[in-house]
Amino acid sequence: MLLYSKVVFVEVMTLANIRTKFRRGDEVKFISHLDLMKVFERAIRRARLPIVYSQGFNPHPGMVFGLPLSVGVTSDAEYGDFEVIDDELSVPEFMERLNAQLPQGVEITAAKQRQSKQNIMATIAASEYIVVVGTKSECNEKNLKVSIDKYLAQNEIIIEKRTKSGMKDTNIRDMIFDLDFELQPCGTYNIIKLTMLVSAGSKANLKPDLLIESLFGYLEFDFEIDRIHRTKLFVNAQDQLLDPMDGLVL
Amino acid sequence: MSIKLSDALLKSVEKPSRYTGNEWNSVIKDPDSVDIRFAFCFPDTYEIGMSHLGMKILYHLLNEREDCYCERVFAPWTDMEVKMRENNIPLYALETKDAIRNFDFVGFTLQYEMSYTNIVNMLDLAGIPLTSEARVEGDVFVCAGGPCAYTPEPLADIVDFFMMGEGEEIINEVMDAYGKWKGTGQTRVAFLEEIVKIEGIYVPSFYYFSYNEDSTIKSFTPLKPQYPINIRKRIIKDMDKVYYPDKIVVPYTEIVHDRVMLEVFRGCSRGCRFCQAGFIYRPVREKSPERLMELAKKLEDSTGYEEISLTSLSTSDYTSLEVLTSRLLDEMEERRVNLSLPSLRIDSFSLDLMEKAHKVRKSGLTFAPEAGTQRLRDVINKGITEEDVLNAVSLAFNGGWNGVKLYFMIGLPTETLEDVEGIAELTHKVLAIYRKVQKKNGKGLNVNVSISSFVPKAFTPFQWEAQYSRQDLSERQMFLKDKIHSKQISYNYSDNKLGFMEAVFARGDRRICKVLIKAWELGCKFDGWGEHFKYDIWMKAFEECGVDPYFYATRKREYDEILPWDHIDVGVSKKYLINESKKAFEEKISLNCKVDCGGCGAAIFESGVCGGNDIG
Repeated sequence: MLLYSKVVFVEVMTLANIRTKFRRGDEVKFISHLDLMKVFERAIRRARLPIVYSQGFNPHPGMVFGLPLSVGVTSDAEYGDFEVIDDELSVPEFMERLNAQLPQGVEITAAKQRQSKQNIMATIAASEYIVVVGTKSECNEKNLKVSIDKYLAQNEIIIEKRTKSGMKDTNIRDMIFDLDFELQPCGTYNIIKLTMLVSAGSKANLKPDLLIESLFGYLEFDFEIDRIHRTKLFVNAQDQLLDPMDGLVL
Repeated sequence: MSIKLSDALLKSVEKPSRYTGNEWNSVIKDPDSVDIRFAFCFPDTYEIGMSHLGMKILYHLLNEREDCYCERVFAPWTDMEVKMRENNIPLYALETKDAIRNFDFVGFTLQYEMSYTNIVNMLDLAGIPLTSEARVEGDVFVCAGGPCAYTPEPLADIVDFFMMGEGEEIINEVMDAYGKWKGTGQTRVAFLEEIVKIEGIYVPSFYYFSYNEDSTIKSFTPLKPQYPINIRKRIIKDMDKVYYPDKIVVPYTEIVHDRVMLEVFRGCSRGCRFCQAGFIYRPVREKSPERLMELAKKLEDSTGYEEISLTSLSTSDYTSLEVLTSRLLDEMEERRVNLSLPSLRIDSFSLDLMEKAHKVRKSGLTFAPEAGTQRLRDVINKGITEEDVLNAVSLAFNGGWNGVKLYFMIGLPTETLEDVEGIAELTHKVLAIYRKVQKKNGKGLNVNVSISSFVPKAFTPFQWEAQYSRQDLSERQMFLKDKIHSKQISYNYSDNKLGFMEAVFARGDRRICKVLIKAWELGCKFDGWGEHFKYDIWMKAFEECGVDPYFYATRKREYDEILPWDHIDVGVSKKYLINESKKAFEEKISLNCKVDCGGCGAAIFESGVCGGNDIG
C-alpha cells in the first residue's frame, strides 16, 4: 500500500504597523478625503510596497487615516496607519519609497513602528488650527482681547449645526480648549490670525469655520476666511492629549 | 500670465479638483522654453474628457517634443462657467493656468455631434473669435480631429483646419511645419497653404460649395487648383511601432474610465451596416501580445491604477486574446490589479475569463442583438442568430449570472412592426430560458431592454437613408412597450429629440454652421446632458436661420447625390457602400472581412488585415 503523506507549508506572515505623519499642501487641498485615500493606494502600488489587503470580494488595502480634512484646508498634521507584511522592510525605507510616489503637496514627514491595536481614527480627540480671517470692522488689540475673553467666559455658546435630521442647536463652549489671536492691521482692513485648539474626532468635533462664524457673529464683525491650516492633531491616551507619534501612544 | 483662482471661487463650485490640475504624470514644462503651445481641448467635462484614449496618446506624444508644450482644457461645468464669467476669468489650460487665447494652437477632439455647442462656448470663454474669418494675424489656430472630423462641414466656419484620421503622425508633421513658419512673418494663409500639402489636412475655407434649387449640393470646388479635392484620412501602419505613452495622467477625482486602457487593435472586421465606427476605422490592425504586455507593465508601474481594461471595437475578435489575457492575469494578480473586459462576445471562453478576471458581480451581462428578427439582423448585417443569443444567455444563467442587458435599435431601414414585436419575443425567450435554469438558483432575474433610435451616419451603407420621424419612432417605442409583459423586464428608450438633432449634425453641410452658432447664442450648451438639452431653442435657431432641419434628418438621398462629405476619403469607397446598401435591401449578409474580403477599398492602406496574411 502506498502511503501518501502531504506536507503542508504554512507561510508565516508577520505583520507590521506603521504610523505616518504627513503634510497636505495647497496643491492638494481641493481633493476629497476619499480621493486622497486613492492617491495613497495608487502610490503604494507604484512603490510596490508590501501592504496587507483585506480578504473578501473587494479587497481593501490595510490603511486607516485620521480625521478627514475639509475641502480647502491645508495641514501639517495628517496621520495614516499602514499595515504591511514585515519582510525586512525598514520604516525609513517605507517612508522613502512612498514619498517618491506621492504627488506634489502630499509628503510624509515622519513614520514610526506602532504596537498598539488602536488605529488613529478611533483615538483622535483634538485638533489645532490656524485660521486667517480678514475683516473691515474696526478693532484694536486691547478691545479684541476683552471681547474674546467675554465670548469664552459664557457658560454656553450655542451654534446651529447641520445634522442628518436638519439644523440642531449645539453648545460648543466645552469643545473650545484654547483660543488665541494676533492682530495685523493692514490699512482699512484687519487681518486676524487665530490659533485654536478644539475638539476633534468621532465623539465631538468642532469645525474651525463654525467657530469663526460664531465668534465673529458675537463680535458683530464682518469677516472673510482667508485660509485654514491644521497645525496639530492630538489623541486621547491615558487621560491626556498626546501627539499621535508619542511613544506612549504607539 | 497665469490666472489666479481664488480659494473662495474654487470652494463655491462642484468638484473643484476638475479645475486645479497638478495630477500625477501631468507634464510640467517651462512655457518660455518652447516654441509651440498647444491647448488640447475636449468639449465636455473633465470626467469624460480625461477618459478619452486619443487625448492621452496625443498629449504625451506632443509633450515628447522639446519644442512643444501641450496642455489640457475641458469644458467647465455650468457652475464654474458662471463664476468665470463673473470674475472675467478666460478659459485657461490646466497645467500652467495660462489663458489659451495666447497659445499657438487650440485643438478640439470631435467625439460626438452633440458636443459642438460646447466648442463654440469654449472659444467664447477663451476670448477667441468664433469663426475662421474673424481671426486675424497673431490669433491662435483652431484645429480639430477625431471621428466626427470626417463630416467636417457643420464646423466649417469655425475650424481653421481639420486633421483626418489617426493623429500620431499627422500632428507631428503639422507641428514641424509650424515650427518653420513661426517667426518668418508670413501670413496665416501661407501656413494653411503649407499644411494643406500634408495628406489628411482639410482647410474648409479653401473650398466653395454651390447648391441646386432643391437645396442639394451642386458642386464642391477648390478656390485654387493646387488644393486637394480628395482628402484621405491617415492611418498608422504598424501598431507595434506607433507611439503609445508609457505613463498617463492619474486624476484625483474619479473619471468615467478610471483605469489603464490597453488598446489591443484598431478597426473592426464585422461590417455591421449601421455602425459608422465599423467603416471609418478600417482596416483592422492589431498590436502584438508582447507589445501589449510591455505597455501593461510600464503603465502599471507609472500609474498604480487598480484596473486595466482591454479596449477595441470588439475585443473578442483579437487574434491572441487567450494568450494575452492569461499572461495579463498572471502579471496583474500579484500587483492586485483587476482586468476589465468590456465588449466581449459572450461564450464559454469569455465567461470563464470574466470569472478569472475578478471584480465580477454576476449581475449583469450585455448582449446587443440590435434587431428583433433574423430578417432585420440580416439587413443590418449583424452576424448573430437568435440561437447564438439564446445559447449565450443559457450559458450565462447556468454560470450563475442573473441579469442581462439587451440592446436593440428601432427605426432601422426596412423595419416593420413585426420586427419591433420581435424584440419583445426575443426578450420573452430569454426570460423563459432563465425560468428553466432557475431551479438551480432561486435568485430573481433582471432583464434590462434598452432601445435606442437609429441615427443614419455618414460613411455607412445607410448614409442615404431617412431617419424615421419623431412621431413614428415614439409610436414604435410605445407599441413595443405594450408587447412586453413581465415585471422582470425593465424597458428603457431614448429621447428622440436628441436623436433627431444628432441626425441633422451627423449628415449636415456648411449651411448648418450658422445654426450652431445661433443655438449657442440662444443658450444651448452641454446638449448631450439631458438636463441641458433645449430642443425648442434648437428649433428656434433653425427657424431664425432659415434652415430646414428635416432636409438633413428625415430625407432619403439618391445614390448620385453629392454628399457633404464626399471629398473626405476614409478608404471605404462609395461604390462599396452603394453595393452594401443594395445588399441590405435584398436582405443579404456580407461576411466578416477576415474571412472574405469584400473589396471595400481600405486595401489602399496596405496594412493590417488588408496588408497580407498577418493582421498583427
